Amino acid sequence: MIVRAPHLQDDVLYDCYYAERRGEPVDPPSAEHLVDCETCARRYADVGAFLTTLSVDAENDVDALFPPERLRQQQQDIAKRLELVGRAARVITFPGRRSVAMAQPIRTSRTRITTRWIAAAAAAGLFVGVAAGTFFNFVPGFDFSSHARRAGIAAGARQVSQSLPSHLSPVKTAVEIVDPDKFMSDLESVLDRPHTSELIAFDALTPHMREVRDFAR
Amino acid sequence: MSTEVRSQTVTTSVVSAPAGPLPDAAPRRPGSVPLSDDSRLAVEIRELVERGEMDEARERFGGLVAAHQRRALRIAFQYLRDAAEADEAVQDAFVKVFSHIGSYREAWPFEVWFTRILINGCLDRRKARVRRDRWIVPADDVALAGHERRVLAPGHQHVSMQADPEARLLARERQARMTAAIDRLEGRQRTVFMLCHYGDCTPREVGAMIGLNESTVRVHLFRAARKLRTLLGGQP
Repeated sequence: MIVRAPHLQDDVLYDCYYAERRGEPVDPPSAEHLVDCETCARRYADVGAFLTTLSVDAENDVDALFPPERLRQQQQDIAKRLELVGRAARVITFPGRRSVAMAQPIRTSRTRITTRWIAAAAAAGLFVGVAAGTFFNFVPGFDFSSHARRAGIAAGARQVSQSLPSHLSPVKTAVEIVDPDKFMSDLESVLDRPHTSELIAFDALTPHMREVRDFAR
Repeated sequence: MSTEVRSQTVTTSVVSAPAGPLPDAAPRRPGSVPLSDDSRLAVEIRELVERGEMDEARERFGGLVAAHQRRALRIAFQYLRDAAEADEAVQDAFVKVFSHIGSYREAWPFEVWFTRILINGCLDRRKARVRRDRWIVPADDVALAGHERRVLAPGHQHVSMQADPEARLLARERQARMTAAIDRLEGRQRTVFMLCHYGDCTPREVGAMIGLNESTVRVHLFRAARKLRTLLGGQP
């Protein structure tokens, strides 16, 4: 009675394929079985065909993508990159600045120093001017323009009165007679006063700003 | 590309030797294997760097680049599905390897060390892309929807180089299905499959990279291949 050996397992078939592909000896019992068993030989051929197709496809892909000239190019690229290995890192200067190689001893000219001082003085003057203007604008009750105007008017009046003959001196000038503040205050009171007769009584009872101001003076 | 970045197994230590900290287990040293040519070359470069002979070291490093470039691009492209990003990832990996060549130990194959650095870089890029894709939608991809858009867009550039529109369409569909299927693999399975199938690594080497023993890697590889076969319409 002849006992037929069981068929080879799939993993054995794959092992045989990879061993054969690498040029290593195939497991002898398996090799013997593949010779004797037609079914296993067919299975082995199917496995081999499938795996070989995968390899061939991959080879074709890489060959199409990386022809010899591209391989050479890659070798050159690698060589270029290797040139930089082991060298100290290069400090790249900031764009617009002078590179280290081009740097020369710095010679600062006298003209340049003068220009810088002038620029600094101008900037300082501007700053002081702005600060002073800001300060006077914020001082309460200080009105530079009205003070100047009043001083100018008073000086003009004094000059006129001094230049007149003595018999005309008692006559007051229009400037002295008419106080501009009082004139404007009267004008405002006339305009602000209610014209409706019913409200005049209430207006009389209500304190006005001008009265408070006059009282304060 | 899938928005999930599940291949986290090799992300912990970018440039450390394979014995670096890993979430699961410290990788086991592969047995006493004779030093491969590239590992020997890496040791020589390390000694040159230590002696300060940088120009000579750079020149010798060109040999390592030429030897591993295509395989690295294959792995990076399978991870990233974008030629420009794969190019950058490979460049970064080589530069990182040269910068940290002092930490290379000849007990491990150079290929394992390099691949691990490369994969960590690819995984970082995938994570960065996921973050970026949350906010930016490429204008030329608006018409394509959801997962299909993510899959088709990166491969579009070289597929479009083909002259025949039908071939172009078929190639694009094939790529889309393939990428979608690989993205549906569990993170560790995908890493194992990528490294074994596209990176030509042995299960032992993959185990050293990701901190698993060889038999576990074989199991992951088998499950990944079987799932892919199911997803791509073949038999399980």
